[in-house]
Amino acid sequence: MTELQLSDAGPGTPAPLLSIDDLHVDIASRERTVHALDGISLDLAPGEALGVVGESGCGKTMTALSVLGLLPPGGAVTGGRILFDGQDLAAASAPTLQDVRGNTVGMVFQDPLTSLNPTMTIGAQVAEPLLLHREGIGRKEAWARAEEMLRLVGMPQPSERMKAYPHQLSGGMRQRVAIAMALVCEPKLLIADEPTTALDVTTQHQILELIDNLRRTLGMAMILVTHDLGVIANRVDRVAVMYAGKVAEQADVRDLFARPRHRYTEALFAALPERAAERGTELHTIPGLPPSLTVRPTGCRFAPRCLFATEECREREPELGPELAQELVPGSEASPGSETSLESEAPAHELVGAEHRFACFHPVPHGDAPEAQVVTPPPATATEPGEVLLELDALVKEFPLTGGPFARRRGTVSAVGGVSLTVRRGETFGMVGESGCGKTTLGRIVAGLEEPTAGTVRFDGRDLAGLSRTERRAHRRRIQLMFQDSTAAMDPRMRVGEILREPLVIQGVGTRADQERLTAGLLDAVGLPRGAVHRYPHEFSGGQRQRLGLARALTLSPDLVVADEPVSALDVSVQAQILNLMRELQHDRGLTYLFISHDLAVIRHLADTVGVMYLGKLVETGPAEQVYAAPLHPYTRGLLDTVNVPDPAVAAAGDREPLHGETPSAAKPPSGCRFRTRCPLAQDVCATTEPPVSTPNGAGHQVACHFPLAAPRLASRV
Amino acid sequence: MTSAASTTAPVTAPGHEEAAQATPSLARRTLQVFTGNKLALTGVVLLVLLLLFSYLGPLLYDTEQTHTDLSQANLSPGTDGHLLGTTDLGYDMVGRLMVAGQTSLEIGLAAGLLATLFGTVYGAVSGYFGGWVDAAMMRITDAALAIPAMFLLVVVAAIITPTKGVLILIIAAVAWLSPARLVRGEALSLRNREYVQAMRMMGGGGARAVFKHIVPNAIGTVIVNCTFQIADAILYVSYLAFLGLSIPPPSADWGSMLSAGITYTQNGYWWLIFPPGIAIVLVVAAFNFIGDGLRDAFEVRLRK
Amino acid sequence: MTGFLVKRFLQALVVLFLVSIIVFVLLHMLPGGPARAILGPKGTPQQITDFNHQQGYDRSLPTQYFMYVKRLFTGDLGDSYKLNSPVFELLKQRLPKTLLLTVLSTALAVVIAIPLGLLQAVRRGKASDYALTGLAFLLYATPVFFLGLIMIILFAQVIPIFPAEAPQGESIGELLKDFSGLVLPVVTMAFGIVAMFSRYMRSAVLDNLTEEYVRTAMAKGQSSRRIMVRHVLRNALIPLATLLGLYLPTLFSGALVVESMFNYPGMGLLFWNAAQGSDFPVLLGVTLVVGIATVVGSLLTDILYAVLDPRIRSVA
Repeated sequence: MTELQLSDAGPGTPAPLLSIDDLHVDIASRERTVHALDGISLDLAPGEALGVVGESGCGKTMTALSVLGLLPPGGAVTGGRILFDGQDLAAASAPTLQDVRGNTVGMVFQDPLTSLNPTMTIGAQVAEPLLLHREGIGRKEAWARAEEMLRLVGMPQPSERMKAYPHQLSGGMRQRVAIAMALVCEPKLLIADEPTTALDVTTQHQILELIDNLRRTLGMAMILVTHDLGVIANRVDRVAVMYAGKVAEQADVRDLFARPRHRYTEALFAALPERAAERGTELHTIPGLPPSLTVRPTGCRFAPRCLFATEECREREPELGPELAQELVPGSEASPGSETSLESEAPAHELVGAEHRFACFHPVPHGDAPEAQVVTPPPATATEPGEVLLELDALVKEFPLTGGPFARRRGTVSAVGGVSLTVRRGETFGMVGESGCGKTTLGRIVAGLEEPTAGTVRFDGRDLAGLSRTERRAHRRRIQLMFQDSTAAMDPRMRVGEILREPLVIQGVGTRADQERLTAGLLDAVGLPRGAVHRYPHEFSGGQRQRLGLARALTLSPDLVVADEPVSALDVSVQAQILNLMRELQHDRGLTYLFISHDLAVIRHLADTVGVMYLGKLVETGPAEQVYAAPLHPYTRGLLDTVNVPDPAVAAAGDREPLHGETPSAAKPPSGCRFRTRCPLAQDVCATTEPPVSTPNGAGHQVACHFPLAAPRLASRV
Repeated sequence: MTSAASTTAPVTAPGHEEAAQATPSLARRTLQVFTGNKLALTGVVLLVLLLLFSYLGPLLYDTEQTHTDLSQANLSPGTDGHLLGTTDLGYDMVGRLMVAGQTSLEIGLAAGLLATLFGTVYGAVSGYFGGWVDAAMMRITDAALAIPAMFLLVVVAAIITPTKGVLILIIAAVAWLSPARLVRGEALSLRNREYVQAMRMMGGGGARAVFKHIVPNAIGTVIVNCTFQIADAILYVSYLAFLGLSIPPPSADWGSMLSAGITYTQNGYWWLIFPPGIAIVLVVAAFNFIGDGLRDAFEVRLRK
Repeated sequence: MTGFLVKRFLQALVVLFLVSIIVFVLLHMLPGGPARAILGPKGTPQQITDFNHQQGYDRSLPTQYFMYVKRLFTGDLGDSYKLNSPVFELLKQRLPKTLLLTVLSTALAVVIAIPLGLLQAVRRGKASDYALTGLAFLLYATPVFFLGLIMIILFAQVIPIFPAEAPQGESIGELLKDFSGLVLPVVTMAFGIVAMFSRYMRSAVLDNLTEEYVRTAMAKGQSSRRIMVRHVLRNALIPLATLLGLYLPTLFSGALVVESMFNYPGMGLLFWNAAQGSDFPVLLGVTLVVGIATVVGSLLTDILYAVLDPRIRSVA
């Protein structure tokens, strides 16, 4: 009935498929109760794609889990309704819920490895929902349908894969299995909870494409939960921005990105490195952290961090609602209908809750582009590149390959396959690449944590292999490593004071009083209170721990800091704080960074020089602007085209050529050019000869490719 | 709680994140979890009571425990002021339990501690060095573990006449294997932790890694295992006694009292059997309760 | 998997070699050395010297060890000087009986422990979980012979339904015919290990319940019961195979006590009697054989584990 009305695209509001109404969820543990969701209301039309976005702890995942009654232990719906197809799932009995789960609502989770049963075959797991929900279906038919589904999700050789186990597949293939499992009963709604967060950029793109296509073919509605504004910009019709257990703003995706109204949304966009107009500018940050939800805050939950908050915000809670009449400028193009009606085929579902709603007393005024406000003028130009500080020459690192935990050595993994590069004093060298490309190994070799299999590392003109034991020990001071996860990198039984002093103690620098003075100064520099020395690492938040990690790396006043994914585990707003801090300290202390990251936007924001690695090879290196604006290597270009840009307009432009396929195993790298198996330009010569390094774009910009891209593109959007 | 919060609450500097909420100190949390565990508390209470019984008891309840008096043999409880009757050699049962308790507890504690100490060092060395050294050292423990402890104990006890010291040594000689394996596993994983790598980055060496980072972080496991070792050692003493290989009279332990009582199963002399048997069960259970509680407490400590 | 098997097999060989060394060392620790062990307490000093020369016990230790191993391969474990019979023959009779006792009681323990652990995990934190956990600890803390004693008093004396003595048949078939006699020894031994297994099951099920694949299974619309049986139980049971291997020495130790207690004609009783009479050839022979049985047994359980767990099996 409703479906008929839908396809009509006529006027009138179709009944929503899912209607969440004033949902409250508490998570109780022994010590405290967290009010994870505090009055969430969302509507979803049949066939519509809704994005739920927010930082960690905002309640986006709880929203997704509560629909199917999959809340973690201690979690319970304490109020509100979840109407799905006329049924209140919040109050439904266990059998009713079981009937919905996997049948009319499918769900995909974040980690494709842990969310599959390790001891069951792929076939058995994909066929399982059919056996549960399709009465009378035989095992044989269920398996045939499961195989068909695997083919549909793009699994190569599906009939063989049916008998495989999850650990035999790559991450991307596992996520395809998870999607097949969720869709095998052809649900009306797919809930995807961070479905691509654990995956690499190229795989992420392929999975999102797949979900997109299947959604269209099967006519499903979807809720896509993610922290990634880039993902949300490209894949949904409508977005709900969540903050501290509430919906802060919801709107059509283009409308939201073009004209955010809530001050939180605005600040979130501004913190994105992609939005910083120029490399080297300071990022906009959001001060503070989201409130802990053990007590219900009074007033607007964002007020303590909001630059525009007034007394009213702190006392009264703003309601989520459409533009108030008196604020509407007559004929404003921001009225939701006008923008979408330009589209030739406005889907009917945009009529459900498509209006722009936000919960803010002092919204961003109309016509204000968010960038105009937040971009601060660039600081003094980056320091002039100095002399060569670090020089890598034909660096090779191979690891023995053992098949599983017990088997013997069966070959080698070529983690780094001959990399040469130079890093100059005072610059930031950004090394970018997907997981397994060898960038972390490279960083560890530079930091002295791994010995290279071949090749040389020259630091400040000296070959490190030629150092004596004592020289080596002293040399340690000059290169320090900043870890991705400072929690793991700090002894949980030491207080912060001891952790920060440890490098000085080891190197025998100064008296205890000197050391304490020095650590106090470092805490000031990274913006932490001096009292922190008495506390343990676990008492700090993720961002604060990264500050501590940076402080420790700086204790010995190194020349070079190798930073391995230092902001990957952080939320956007906190990430911006750390990036700004790193830049500031570099400026003040004349540091050189070797900054390793998978995140193209972060690298672009911070780096002077960029290196791109693929499967152990440095495929391209050069000044950041040049590499991003005019990539020479097909891989670099593909990577730039694959990244999800947090701007719906870019996605719509459609002139992008994303990467296909999967990275081959580093145990058996392709002959010749390692990228040739995925390269659109590959010729016979690529398989036989390793590509030479050339500089078609000027001396500083090197590429290792037989057919470097001739025509520079206008500009990258990352 | 409030005192911890007030002394460590940091000043929030403007422009950066709010400091994490003050949490109670690690030691306090560990203690909280431990005392929140009812079984663990039961264990502590039981152990204290048994210790008081064995060591303070004889001062308050004086009985003849060196000379036998066969005229007083096998008296049933309550007779002639013998609260739990007398043994087949005429010793007062309650007094005998006290003396025997001292032996059982002392051997158990000494053997358990000795085994833990040696096993920890062995395991730490094996795990820290890894590779070939580790493989060789672990095959030795494999071989020693392959011969069931009871068989090894009986053979050794049959060769050497047991005294208290000998019992401690031979029980420790079979009991060290389990802490060794456990600590080795810990050391293997700890030496690859990022904070050990971070320390190497600063130029720190192996000794610092072992004593500043690996041992302190493995100490929880060691302490927990030690309580289990003590419990097992007390069980071993009783098994040896049952197999007729305990310290010869007039000294006694709970195991030898129990096995002496077995002879009289048919006669219905229950007081010879149940008191020492229950004493063993209680002391072993007490150590296990404590160990289990400690394990939970240490786990919380590491998880956060 | 072949790589795993080869490596595991080589390890087992090394361990067997070390086990033989340990027994060889024990042999030399005997008062009077191997000669005393073979000739018995009645041997005169002259006989001992002659014997030592004849048997090569005056040669270097490595040579002696080599000869010792050579004899082992011919099945020569010496002669019992109490039972006037080659140790090898005695073991041939007794070993199967001990294996029967071990297998029956392990099976019983597993059958009791699986539902018990499952129940505890499902009722985690509830009164029944605490009660069962407390009970499991008490059971673990009870020496097997005290447990056996309680069994005898309860079921052979107070309510005399089972004999206090095990059947004395020559063959396994005869033992099985007198099944009621097997009940108390088997139950006693099973109770001795049920505590360990149920503890394991409880924590394994709890661990698996927190795994994300359980949430996926729920998202497919399965009932809790089905998830428990099809997913959790299955994954929790696979490592039980290795656990059985790890507990083999404990099982044999238990058999030693239970056999002595119920006069069950297995290897444990043989060993116990030998210990009472200082019958060293028997003591060392049994020790060696039990050691070998443990090594082989844990090798088998590891292989079983590798076969059951696809993560190891399919690393081809």
